[in-house]
Amino acid sequence: MADAIPPPPHEHLRNPATRHALRIQSTLLDGAREYLSGQDFVELLPPIIGPVTDPGGRGAKQADVDYYGHPYKLMTSAILYKQAALLAFDKIFYIAPNVRLEPMTTAGTDRHLAEFHQIDVEAAGASRDEALGLVEGLLRHAVGRVVAELPEPLAALGRDPSALLDALEQPFEQLSHAKAVGLLHGLGHDQSPDSEINWSGEALLSREAHRPFFVTDYPKGSRGFYDRESATEPGLLRNFDLIAPEGFGELCSGGERESSYPRIIARMRETGENPAKYGWYLDAVRQGIPPSAGFGIGVQRLLRYVTGLAAVWQVSAYPKLPGMASP
Amino acid sequence: MNRLRAPGFPEEAVRRRARQGPAAGYPPAADYGGTLFGADPAGPADSAGSGWAAGHAGADQLDAARLVPPVFMPQRLEKLIDLGREPTHRDVELDTLIGGFRSSLPLYVSAFGSTVAGSDLGLAVSRQAGELGIPMVIGENVVPVAGYGRLGPTGDRSLLARLRAYAGAAPPGLGGVAVQQSTEDADAEVWNLVYSDPAAHELLASGRLAFELKVGQGAKPGLGGMTVLDADTAARLTGRYQLDPIFDGDGSGSGSGDGSGGRVLRAATPGTYTEEILRQQIRLMRNNFPEARVWVKLHPARDVRDAAAVAWAAGADAVTVDGAEGGTGWAPLPAFAHVGLPLAECLLRLDNRSDCLLVSGRVWEGTRVAKCLALGARAAGLGRAALLAADEDPDRGLLRFAGCLAEELRLLVSALGKYRPAALGREDLWWPGQPPEPAAAPAAAPDRTAATCRTEG
Repeated sequence: MADAIPPPPHEHLRNPATRHALRIQSTLLDGAREYLSGQDFVELLPPIIGPVTDPGGRGAKQADVDYYGHPYKLMTSAILYKQAALLAFDKIFYIAPNVRLEPMTTAGTDRHLAEFHQIDVEAAGASRDEALGLVEGLLRHAVGRVVAELPEPLAALGRDPSALLDALEQPFEQLSHAKAVGLLHGLGHDQSPDSEINWSGEALLSREAHRPFFVTDYPKGSRGFYDRESATEPGLLRNFDLIAPEGFGELCSGGERESSYPRIIARMRETGENPAKYGWYLDAVRQGIPPSAGFGIGVQRLLRYVTGLAAVWQVSAYPKLPGMASP
Repeated sequence: MNRLRAPGFPEEAVRRRARQGPAAGYPPAADYGGTLFGADPAGPADSAGSGWAAGHAGADQLDAARLVPPVFMPQRLEKLIDLGREPTHRDVELDTLIGGFRSSLPLYVSAFGSTVAGSDLGLAVSRQAGELGIPMVIGENVVPVAGYGRLGPTGDRSLLARLRAYAGAAPPGLGGVAVQQSTEDADAEVWNLVYSDPAAHELLASGRLAFELKVGQGAKPGLGGMTVLDADTAARLTGRYQLDPIFDGDGSGSGSGDGSGGRVLRAATPGTYTEEILRQQIRLMRNNFPEARVWVKLHPARDVRDAAAVAWAAGADAVTVDGAEGGTGWAPLPAFAHVGLPLAECLLRLDNRSDCLLVSGRVWEGTRVAKCLALGARAAGLGRAALLAADEDPDRGLLRFAGCLAEELRLLVSALGKYRPAALGREDLWWPGQPPEPAAAPAAAPDRTAATCRTEG
């Protein structure tokens, strides 16, 4: 059980648990880069600010930046830039910092930070199945490196390496959103079939699982405009989340992307967006961007799962909890 | 010296109510015994400028309707049995559920937008609406024009100042605030801002925060919000919004027009809607803000019934319909008279029996509210009336005004032999030319245990 509030940096950074977690993070990121480079992905440096960013957060506010008098935003995710970056290379990734001013309702989830990082991957012409395969391969490789190279920090944190390897060894199961909703209803849990799996429902599914698993086919109306709507099953999105076992919850979101201009305009309206502000992105889309699939893995969430620590702030050097002014 | 004016609206009558409270619902007491009063359906709204009026201002389909009490009143008998004494109008219980909020009255305060009038009185209205325990809508444009008020001093016009004024005055468990967002407001992330703000968390945690998707409005059906900006504000917003220098005469910026001192018109886009766009926007609101209520505001459109049905089916807690008589904001002149369905026609087309329907449009006294409720509305919105009442007395004007309206409602509802506002129905209304009901056999006294009077709004 973690404290609800992170201690000051002088105490937090000298805590052995923090130092073990940060050592593991370094190896995890090294493993992720090694795996993606081996698959011919090019690492790019992520943008930090822009006139628009990913609008898809669940009630999270974007952080405003006064950019020479123009209202800019800190990146909530690099999704729009990832799609545009495919004009340069077919396979790209970022290790990207993001800021989302999450609502206070996330305070009890133990897995929300206002500032966090993602391993952000996008591949031109890829399908959802290929993206799922990449997620699995990346996790197996990166966590495998941690288990092989850092047994002592894992042991110090009380994490059983063989259990981690066992969880990642088998192909991850896939569960459609509709089936996940059915499972939750079977457990007596209130869950709207039109919405994201709610925080408590996700925790419930995660606690019941022994291995990571994918939830696929989220309904339109639960995600941003860039997740592609199925051509054969209208109303369903060709997307996915990866849920960790043991109650650690969501680690990753991804999917196939919309790339057609009129589809993106219509989806923007369906998600309440005003297309006018997406000028540069829509110009690029109008001139043609490749269809693609990709995903973003939350670095701190993955690290929390690998270390087994109770709260996500414990794995961040400078944790910023929603609503709390922190260094 | 009052500043607000409301041509075509029974302004003096509203001001009298804001000064006198329930007493203003009756003829002047000093006239008792010395003046003969009687119905004057065609009479002026404001008899001899005294501010006393019997509710026949203007003339629309709702004004033409009459509330028609019956002789036989089975629901009065139920109340008599409950109480063990003859019920009076004091026994009418006016509290109801409005869009997921418990409200002390079947009333709410409509959005004022960012019009200067609404902004200047926003705090006074917010505080008194909170104290009354009735829901309040905060209009679009407030954040883009007046700011949110979190960094630096909290300006009186800011959204946060209004939220705090309301929350500070509201009794526990009563009322709630609905924050509007229009298509262009999405750029300012108004809902994300409020939902993630620790200052709004108490309202959210107590179930008293809603977000209202603004699809349209009564005063300008089919158009977006309009704001007249002064030169300084216009300079600040240049490049972010479409600003039209229409007041300088020829639009050239040469200043040859009416001497409006550099003021410009900001005309916001109304946004594009199809059934699917409306449905998915509502679903996304429920997805992104699961702990907030979802309201949808429609203009008096010819397809208002279809749009409301889509909104309710997608999970909206309330649909607000603003009749063509509504509006507090600045609007192009032709739209006042010739665009949009009258409120009564909206209510007839909606033919609502069970969903939470909220309506607004020149509502200021009890008969119009009662008629709206009888036609299927859950509550009626106060726009100009709330502003005028607060303008008359920023401390107590709206409280007294609502007290008068509540008094009238209790009288009217009890006169119809009913004791909850939701019990009103079409049988309580009559229009000129409407044929009489066929004669029915006298009804037997109802079995009290089988009473079906709705107890919720």
